[in-house]
Amino acid sequence: MIFDTVKQSLSSRRVLIPVEQLLMDAQGSRMPDVQPSLLTAEIARRAADACPTTALTLEEADGRTQLVLNYADCVACGRCIEAGAGAFVAAQKLACCGATKSGLVRRWDVASGAEIVSSEREMENSAREIRSLLGRALNIREVDAGSCNGCEAEIVAITNPYYDLERFGIHFVASPKHADMLLVTGPVTRNMAEAVRQTYAATPSPKLVVAVGACGCSGGIFAGSHATAGPLDAIIPVDGYIPGCPPTPAMLLSGILHVLQRRS
Amino acid sequence: MNAILAQSHETTDPLKLLHRPGVRLVSIFGSLDEDGSRRVHYAVDIDNRQYRVVSIAGEGPIASATPITPAAAWYERELHDQYGVAIEGHPDLRPLLFHENWAEGVHPMTAGFEKVPAGTRTPYRFLKVEGEGVCEVPVGPVHAGIIEPGHFRFSIVGDTVLNLELRHFYTHKGTEKLFENMPIADGCLIAESVSGDNCFAHAVAYSQAMENSFGVAVPARGRALRLIGLELERMMAHIADVGALCGDVGFTVPAAYTARIKESLLLASTRFFRTRFWRGVAVPGGVTIDLAAVDAAELQRIVAEAARDFAELAKIILETPSVQNRFESTGVLSRDVARDLAVVGPVTRASGIKIDVRRDHPYGRYREFATEIAHHSQGDVLARARIRIDETAISARLIADTLREMPTGAIRTSISADASAEGFSAVESPRGELFYWVRVRNGRIARCHIKSPSFQNWPALPLAMPGNIIADFPLINKSFNLSYSGCDR
Repeated sequence: MIFDTVKQSLSSRRVLIPVEQLLMDAQGSRMPDVQPSLLTAEIARRAADACPTTALTLEEADGRTQLVLNYADCVACGRCIEAGAGAFVAAQKLACCGATKSGLVRRWDVASGAEIVSSEREMENSAREIRSLLGRALNIREVDAGSCNGCEAEIVAITNPYYDLERFGIHFVASPKHADMLLVTGPVTRNMAEAVRQTYAATPSPKLVVAVGACGCSGGIFAGSHATAGPLDAIIPVDGYIPGCPPTPAMLLSGILHVLQRRS
Repeated sequence: MNAILAQSHETTDPLKLLHRPGVRLVSIFGSLDEDGSRRVHYAVDIDNRQYRVVSIAGEGPIASATPITPAAAWYERELHDQYGVAIEGHPDLRPLLFHENWAEGVHPMTAGFEKVPAGTRTPYRFLKVEGEGVCEVPVGPVHAGIIEPGHFRFSIVGDTVLNLELRHFYTHKGTEKLFENMPIADGCLIAESVSGDNCFAHAVAYSQAMENSFGVAVPARGRALRLIGLELERMMAHIADVGALCGDVGFTVPAAYTARIKESLLLASTRFFRTRFWRGVAVPGGVTIDLAAVDAAELQRIVAEAARDFAELAKIILETPSVQNRFESTGVLSRDVARDLAVVGPVTRASGIKIDVRRDHPYGRYREFATEIAHHSQGDVLARARIRIDETAISARLIADTLREMPTGAIRTSISADASAEGFSAVESPRGELFYWVRVRNGRIARCHIKSPSFQNWPALPLAMPGNIIADFPLINKSFNLSYSGCDR
């Protein structure tokens, strides 16, 4: 029987997606991107009104109106795309997976449509230390701090033959005591807050913490609920954020690699 | 017919109703009248043919339904936690939703609740099993795999499990409270985040509850697209479950292969519907994304290929002696227990109880034909694996039949957003009966109750454990594959 299985798997075509194709890919995530040439004050206002969270807002700065898109709050509902008359589109690429919290925010000048590029982020000490200690090997402990399990479904998917996380020397381990990185999902429920603190304490230093999904980044759709205690960075220190609801396997992979390779 | 029935506020005694043979408890939940007083609702299924919701006042003490049907036990504990309803004659009213870091006396669903005050409550009392050689093994909430959090307390002698007690609700997010005062359209966003791997079933159940409340009919093409989404979701869930069962017995090659088949369906969803999990597709009134005619043939081909690959793989899995050895007679859930606890979905169908919302209370496109139901009677891990294998094939056929005869026309109709109404709907999600009850006041959601199949089925898992060795627990647990978030909400 086992021979049939091996034979079948050997005869099947190769499905591994090359890394160049995966990095920054955001297809299927329904996260928004902006087409600056089509952006107008009216469209920006309509899109911000349609947003059910605080992901899209308008800000006044120096007498000019800025459109602020904070991916941390985005639950990928697609309403800005529906309301945005072409100025908002489903993102094909997303550069911010694994960024710091400020790196998740993008701004456009509404009048000119031009994106306002903010200053670069700096490399975290623990990321440098882990890279120098381990080269490319990394052990991850996944912690569900009250997610809907959508993020878990995608985190499991990055180990499948299409994405094959292990090709990067990255493994999921069974205990925080074996981990270099905690990959944390969910808004941190009141009932999970203590377990999250204890898991963090049980992870040896140097360690990295990555917040996953809209819930991990900001509480997402559950922000402000009486039953949540988060977001994650209100409970433990966070090194990088991977937005999305849920983030696709490509976004997760890009984000994990980004946190490891972040340079100033 | 599903949810077309008028709801009844008549004073039928719900406990007398539950006494009648052929009556299965669907859910017990609370709501607030306009003056803020509490009301308790009992949803039942009569003879697998007719849903009925009866309600009674909840201000005074109510008599517990648990002595009549043990399936009521968790519902009444939840009602007690959320609404503070006094329940007489319940054998176990320990807190269900709230752990030690919640102040005593908090009832978030009652009128006037603002926030949880600081404070703690007395530690949870686990059942104590005593005797010579009895050990306790606590597991969780943080588990070893990439799974959701929950706590299992085993009492064992040697390797053999004497008792398993669950302590869950680590992922409790106050979800039902979040619906309050939301516009109808926004409710979908929350419904999709109740149990992420079954998000489409939740969105459809929520949307249908709204459509039933307001008497809105979804256009035929919208109904067909919903069926495709629901059955694709079922295929992906079942294929992943069978793979995970193989992983738990160390048979890793088929485990990787099933992950690959599932991914092919996720990629197809991205290609044709621009979303991996069909989020944002179902809305009250229909669906938001149409399928182009040229893409229908390609989707058909991909689904057929996935079903064929999985069927070949399943044959190998079931014929492998080491798999048979681990699956057979492991974690038996008897038919009687499944009936007493009103277990639903593939788990109950593997224990010889033939219920399925698609056939018993057809909705949407399922009204146009009689859905074939898989069933087995052994109630062990093997039977639960077989159910999923059989159902995957049925789902693929349903998708093929639907794609062959796609109706033309609109995919969505509008739904009036400023009226008041209430109603319910049920969907057969991959884990079983998913029931939504909604009340809208002036266009805003006043109450949304979610009966998830996992909330119903979790209490049955400990009854499949005694006599099994503790090393088989991951396998037995996986064969139930219940959602923690769906249960905890």
